[in-house]
Formats: sequence, C-alpha cells, structure tokens
Amino acid sequence: MSAVSSWVSETFVRDATERRIFATLGLITVLLVGGVFAGVIGPRFLLFQIALVGMYALLSLGLNVQWGYAGLINFSVAAFWGIGAYCAALLTAPNSPLGLGLHPVFGFLAAIVVSAFIAVLIGIPTLRLREDYLAIASLGLAEVIRAIILNERQWTAGSSGISGIPNLMSWLPLTDAATTAAIVVVLIAVVYLFLRRVHRSPWGRVLRTIRSDEDLAKALGKDTYRFKMQAFVIGSVIMAVAGAFYAHLNLYIDPSDLVPLTTFYIWIAVILGGTGSNRGAVVGAAVVIAIREGTRFLNDIGFIQTLGIDLAPLRLLFVGGLIILIMRFRQDGLLPPKDELIWPAARDGSGADGAPASGAASDGGTASNGGDDR
Amino acid sequence: MNDDAYEGAHLGKSDVVLKTTDLEKAFGGLVATDSVSIEVDRGTITGMIGPNGAGKSTLFNLISGFYENDAGHVTVNGEEVTDLEPHERARKGLVRTFQTPRRLEGMSVREAMLVGPGPQKGESIFSLFFSGSDVTEEERTNIEQTRELLERFEIGHLIDQPSTDLSGGQMKLVELARAFTTNPDILLLDEPVAGVNPTLANDIKRFIRELNEEGQTFLIIEHDMPFIMDLADPIIVLDQGKVLMEGSPDEVRADDRVIEAYLGGAGP
Amino acid sequence: MIPLQISPFQYVANGVVFSSIIVLAAIGLSLVYSIADFANFAHGDLMTVGAFSALFSVGFLRPMLGDAGVFGLPLWFFLALAFGMGAAAVISVITDRVIYQPVKGSDSIGLLISSIGVALVYRALVFLSFGTEAERYGVPRQGPIPWVRESLGIAVTPRNLVVVTLTVVLVAALHLTLTRTTLGRKMRATADNADLARVSGIRTSEVILAMWLIGGALAAAGGVFLGLEELVRPRMGFDILLIVFAAVILGGIGSVYGAMLGGLVIGMVHELVPLFNQWGVIPVGSRYAAAVAFVIMVAILLVRPSGIAGESG
Repeated sequence: MSAVSSWVSETFVRDATERRIFATLGLITVLLVGGVFAGVIGPRFLLFQIALVGMYALLSLGLNVQWGYAGLINFSVAAFWGIGAYCAALLTAPNSPLGLGLHPVFGFLAAIVVSAFIAVLIGIPTLRLREDYLAIASLGLAEVIRAIILNERQWTAGSSGISGIPNLMSWLPLTDAATTAAIVVVLIAVVYLFLRRVHRSPWGRVLRTIRSDEDLAKALGKDTYRFKMQAFVIGSVIMAVAGAFYAHLNLYIDPSDLVPLTTFYIWIAVILGGTGSNRGAVVGAAVVIAIREGTRFLNDIGFIQTLGIDLAPLRLLFVGGLIILIMRFRQDGLLPPKDELIWPAARDGSGADGAPASGAASDGGTASNGGDDR
Repeated sequence: MNDDAYEGAHLGKSDVVLKTTDLEKAFGGLVATDSVSIEVDRGTITGMIGPNGAGKSTLFNLISGFYENDAGHVTVNGEEVTDLEPHERARKGLVRTFQTPRRLEGMSVREAMLVGPGPQKGESIFSLFFSGSDVTEEERTNIEQTRELLERFEIGHLIDQPSTDLSGGQMKLVELARAFTTNPDILLLDEPVAGVNPTLANDIKRFIRELNEEGQTFLIIEHDMPFIMDLADPIIVLDQGKVLMEGSPDEVRADDRVIEAYLGGAGP
Repeated sequence: MIPLQISPFQYVANGVVFSSIIVLAAIGLSLVYSIADFANFAHGDLMTVGAFSALFSVGFLRPMLGDAGVFGLPLWFFLALAFGMGAAAVISVITDRVIYQPVKGSDSIGLLISSIGVALVYRALVFLSFGTEAERYGVPRQGPIPWVRESLGIAVTPRNLVVVTLTVVLVAALHLTLTRTTLGRKMRATADNADLARVSGIRTSEVILAMWLIGGALAAAGGVFLGLEELVRPRMGFDILLIVFAAVILGGIGSVYGAMLGGLVIGMVHELVPLFNQWGVIPVGSRYAAAVAFVIMVAILLVRPSGIAGESG
C-alpha cells in the first residue's frame, strides 16, 4: 500500500496547487459517475465522452512532444490527425473508395507509416530554419491536406465522408462503447509510458536544451536537426494514431474537422495544461473537452437561442481569448513540468536525489526516485 | 576527463590546435572580418582583445561555425573544418561559450551540466529501450564526474538549484565547467568574466589556469584588461576586422598601434 | 462575345490584380517582422476586419453621397475604403497596446501564439457582428473595357484598373515615406537593428506606432480590394494568409521591398496556375492554386531560405 500511496502522492499531489486541481477533477469524476447511477447521464454517452477525452489526450501528448519537449511550433495537428483517420477509414470501411475492408490493425499501421513519411517531408525544409518557418509551413501543409481530401473525391469521398467504419474488437464481451473507451485508455497508457522513458533521459535533456537555446546545444556538439526531426515524427505519429482511433470511435469521418480550429483546441490543451508536461497535456485535454461539450449544452438552453447568437463564433471568441489570456497571465499552465530529466536508474546510489530544490515543495521534502514524468 | 586519458589522447597531434587562414566576412557593405589569419598553439591560453567593433565576436562565430565565412579556412588539429556545421566542429574538439549566459529554463545545474558530455548513448532512442544498462552506467559516470567538477570549482552546493537562480558569475562558472566536460581540444571563451564580480572573476581565472596547467588550450576574448593581461600569453589584438599584432602582454602594452587603436583612452 | 479560348494574357491580367492585393498585405506583414520581430498570424484577419469596417461604413456613406462616382466606382466606395483603412489602423494599434506589449518577455514565439488568439478573436467579432453570409459592397456591376478587349483580347474592368492604380499609389507613398521622411529613416534603421536604433536615440515607440498604423491601413486596403474583386467573407483574410506568408518568405523576411516583389511573384503564380495546367506544366488545376503557392514557399526554404532580398547568415 505504501508503494501505491507514494506513487499517488508523486503523480498527483506535488504541491498545494496540484492538490486543488486534482481534487477538482476527482470531484467532477464523482459527479459524473453519480449522474450515471442517478439516470441523468447515459452510460453510453459518458463512455463516448471518455473516449473522446482520450483521443484529445493523445493529440495533446503528441503536440507536447513537439512543442513542449522541443519547442517546435506545429499548426498542422488537425492534418496529421486527419491522415490517421483517413488511413483507418479508407482501409477498413467496406464502402470506402478503396473498399478493402481490412482489419483495423492495418489502418493503424498505415496511419503510422504515412504520417511519419509526411512529417519527414515537412521537416526537411523547415527544421534547420527558424521556428516560425515551421509554423507557417505546417499551416500551409494543413490546408494542402485538407484541399486534397476535399477535392480528390475518387480517393477520399470528399465532403461526403466515409461511413461504416467498423468498431474495434467487437468480439470482446463488453459493449462497443466500453471496449472503445478501454482501448483508448490502453493507448494512452502505452504512449505515456513510452514518452516518460524517452523524456527522462539524455535524449529528453538535449531536446529541452534545444528548446531553451538551440545554439548552445550546437556548441556542445549536438546535432539539433536530428533531435528535432525525431521529436517531430514521434509527435506526428501519435497524432495520427489518435486520428485512426477516432475513425473507429465515431464510425464516420469527413473533412469538416480538419480545420485549424481543431489544431488550436489542442494548442490550448497543451499550453493550458502546462507546456512540456505529459500530465498537463492530459488534464488540458480534459478541460478543453469540457469547454467544447459544455458550450454545446449552452446552445440547447432556450434563452441563448433567443438571443440569436450563433454558437460557433462564440466558441471561436472563447478559444482566441483563452489563448491570449494564457500567454499573458499563465504561460506556465496548470501543471508545469518540474522533473529533472535524468535517467531514473542512474539516480540510485549516486547521490543525486532527483528533485530540484526549487519551489516544488513536496510534502516532507523527500522525492525518492525523481517522481513521475509530467 | 582524467589527466592521463587527456594527455594520452593528444599524443601525436599537431602543436597548432586552431588555425585560420584569410578569413573574410562582410555584412552588406560592411567588412567585419578582413583576411584574418591566426594560430593557437596547444597548451596556451591565447587572448584576443580589441576595441569595440573590432570584430572579435564575429571571428569567434566564424571559427565556431555560427557564421558562414565569405572566404578563408579554419582548421582544427590540422583538419579542415571550414565546411562543417557548428555541432560537427564541436565534435572535432572546437567548443565555445557565449557572451551572455544561457540560462536553461526549468533545468537544474546538474541537468545543465549533464548536457555537456557527448555523444551519450542515452541520446539515441533505440538505446533507451534496448541498451538500458549501458545508458545507466554512462549516466551514473557522468553524474559523478559533473559533481566532482562542480566541487572542484567550488560550486558543488549549487548542483540542485534551478540554473535560472544562479548569479551571472556562477552561471559563467557552470558554463566553463560544462564546456570542459565535452573534452575539447580548444575552448573558446567569449568574455568569461563580463559583468562578473571581482571575487568570482578571480576564481574563474584561477580555474582556467588550473585547467590549462593540466593541458587544456584556451582562446579567450575579454575586455577586462587586467584579467586578460594576467592570464593570457600570447595575446592577439584585433582592430577593424584585422589582426593588428600578436605578442606577449608586455609587447602588447608597449605597442603604439595598439595604444592608438584604443584612442589613447584607457589603454591596455 | 466571350472568346472560346481564354488568352494567356488574361491570366496575367488577373495576376496583376491579385498581386496588388497580396503586395499590400505582404508589406504590413513584413513591417511587423522587421520592426516588432515576430510572425503576426493575425494579419489575415486584420484584412478581414478592414474589409468589413469598410462594408459597415457603406451603410451610412451611401445614403449621404448617392451614386456619383469616378472610373465607374461611386464616391462612397473610396470613402469607405478610407474608413476601412483608418479603422484597421486604429484596431491594430489598440491590439498592440493591449495584447502584444504586455506579453511577458516579449519573445517572438509568445507573440506568435498570442497573434493566433488575436486572429480568432478578430474573426469571431466579425462573425458576431455581420453573420456568416458573404456580402458585397454593392458597387454597380461593370463590364470589361471595350477598347482593351478589342486591342489586347483581355477582359479588364475599370474596377481592376482602380485596384491596381490605387495599389501603385499606396506603394509609392510608402516608398516615399520610407526614403524621404525622418520617420521613414527611423523605421528603416529600427528594422535593420532595433538595439542600435534605440541606442542612437530613435524612439522606437514612435516607430512601432507608425508600423502598426501603416501595416493595418495597407492590410485593410488589400482586404477591401479582395472584397471588391471577390466577396466580403469572414474567412477571407485567413484563407489568404498562407499566400501572404509565402510572399514574405519568398521576398525575404526583413525586407519590405522583398515582400513587394514576393507578393508580385506569388500573386502571379497563383493566377497562372490554370494556365500552367492547360499547358501541361503542372498536373493540378485552380482549386490547388494555394497549394502551389505553398509548394513554391517550401522550395524556397530548401534552396534559399533567406529569400530574394533577405539577410543571410
């Protein structure tokens, strides 16, 4: 039990602010579960929302690798997500333009390969140059990909979209909704553990140095282009996996979500959650979904409709305002990363106890193995 | 990083660590570096001085590869590096520091130091999953060695501090230590004591001297005259992008051209 | 009658008109890059704000002035243009004071991200104020100028000529400002080296104010012309933003004149895409015109990232 409680305290309650945040999240979770039992919230709906949060969390984790770890500005999150979704849909839906009806595994594999390829393609001209070039080029890429999907109907079904995408693992004795939610949790766990390992390591350290000061990293002999490319590809692949998952969650996709607004939702998730922090990315995703779904409920409330205000521009206003406010007042986000990027196995017995002596005042001041990666 | 390994590694290498030949650089119409040819001998602390605008920083940037030269050559240990990227030159033994201390956001001094040694096994993602024990061993060694080095520089107590909490002078010491962990053939220090309080500046001078006595070659830009005159020999004087003269501190002090270049004001 | 085969020069003529719009937008973007040192992603939506401000003013200008006009365009249109330029200039300055200046550290990446927020806010306000429908200024429809049609075989309306002429006038005015006035000299000095300029006593706050005013006004002009040539839509600026960035990068970040040249080239290429498709030079048609501009931009980044006129090294 003490191992569990120390894990809990390191993951969730490093300091007072974090306690408050996780307490709030815990409370909301209890309310939601209670709502299901009280019959107010349908369990299927809740599971769908959980799966959706999971998908957003994956996207945020992917962007966090690019922006949070390496400082890369990628405005084509929606595009890589779309690539993943379309790979999955085209290969698995029986009535897609390709009509292959393959097993979902192939969809995921294709998503990984195609996204990696395109990431390299866009990285080659931009990663050696200033950061804003990647920003511009990625925005351009996003529009090009959206244009291709919209226009090449013979391959992508254009704006009609692709339907009839199969569920994942229908042979499990759980409902479809539960299965999908469980799968995304597994995906998140796998990605999270992978990222944790590569982040608290020399590799992660070099990336953080590159983010702070690329010239310094070069002066110390690090091939910064190679590191940035790796971070970019890893992040893009994670985003594509999220997209493939979404195809099997929603069972229908069309190009309408491949718009920059989707990308900026994820940006908010990451910077609000805490740039560079994996936990922050997940929490940020939850917050963003809450905002999206919350405002959707608002639309159903009669009096908003009588005001004649259109919901979509209000959301736009809110997203834009939120970005401005975060950049102005809390660039750190809710759960900024506080870990030392040192290979955990090397800490033991070498005198390095792993927690920086800064304001991360953990209870009692002990941090036995460096804490959880954020 | 121990002395035996260091000396052994340098057996058979040339006496001239760094050489530039007719380096040129112009910005628009302004010539910043005009046919500069210098040599730095192994085992020396070579100084570089000159009035503001003389082109010292530009020359450092050209040597280390951060600026692209219009003409000329740079060689390290006799090997041509003119076409190499900055990180490739660093791998060849040419390591530089920067004028303004680069504070690494969110990193402790320990982390900042650990970026220095390289290439590290743990910098390859593949190794992180398939050679975990090798990574552990190397990391342990590096952690221990950085701790020792910081202790030696009398800032061991700062090892857990966020690097943003350090004073400018302390950060410069860290940078010196970190640059040293790269095991360089030559260390280019860009104003290592600019804005540093006198006590700390003296410490820095002392440590540079100690490292030099163990065989480390330095090329140092400095404006602090007493500092550089006491520390470096030979000293290269730059003015308006050209090499004015080169000599011992006494020779430099006595040279009319140098005095004039400094406009008869606070001369060397 | 409409000729069956569209003359290649028609595409060139279209290119000149479209280039005018891009040039005006690119100048403002380039100024912000050189002087405030960040990529302003709100620039496209600033064009939209200018175009819609002009549209708004039509509401009260038109009844006042009736339909008297010159060159086939009513007087109220020109005044609406001026109104739009003024509004965008002011909004630009306010945005800077309220949003960009207070951003901690003012590092260019933080400003870039903030500008994304600003872009969304501009667009949302336009949506909320004007709805989602596309609009027109209500300028009377025009046919092509007959003697041009007969002699050169291309269809050019008086409106096209006004757009191009006014662009030339505005660009010339900018050039004169930059080269002949004290303010202009200060702007160029700050663009070259902000620290040096400040140390030499140039009050950069004055320069920055001028930059936002000029950039905003020119962006609005571009937006109004775009609305005149096509439609006034809330997404109009953002849709064109990529092309404007491509122009600035082609011309070289840091060079206003490079941005003008880049705008000319990119604008031409954009309109020539159908012609190239016809000639078999490229496999895609006009729906991919923006994509072609993007590919060109990427090619520049590969070959010469500093652009035509930008700083190197």
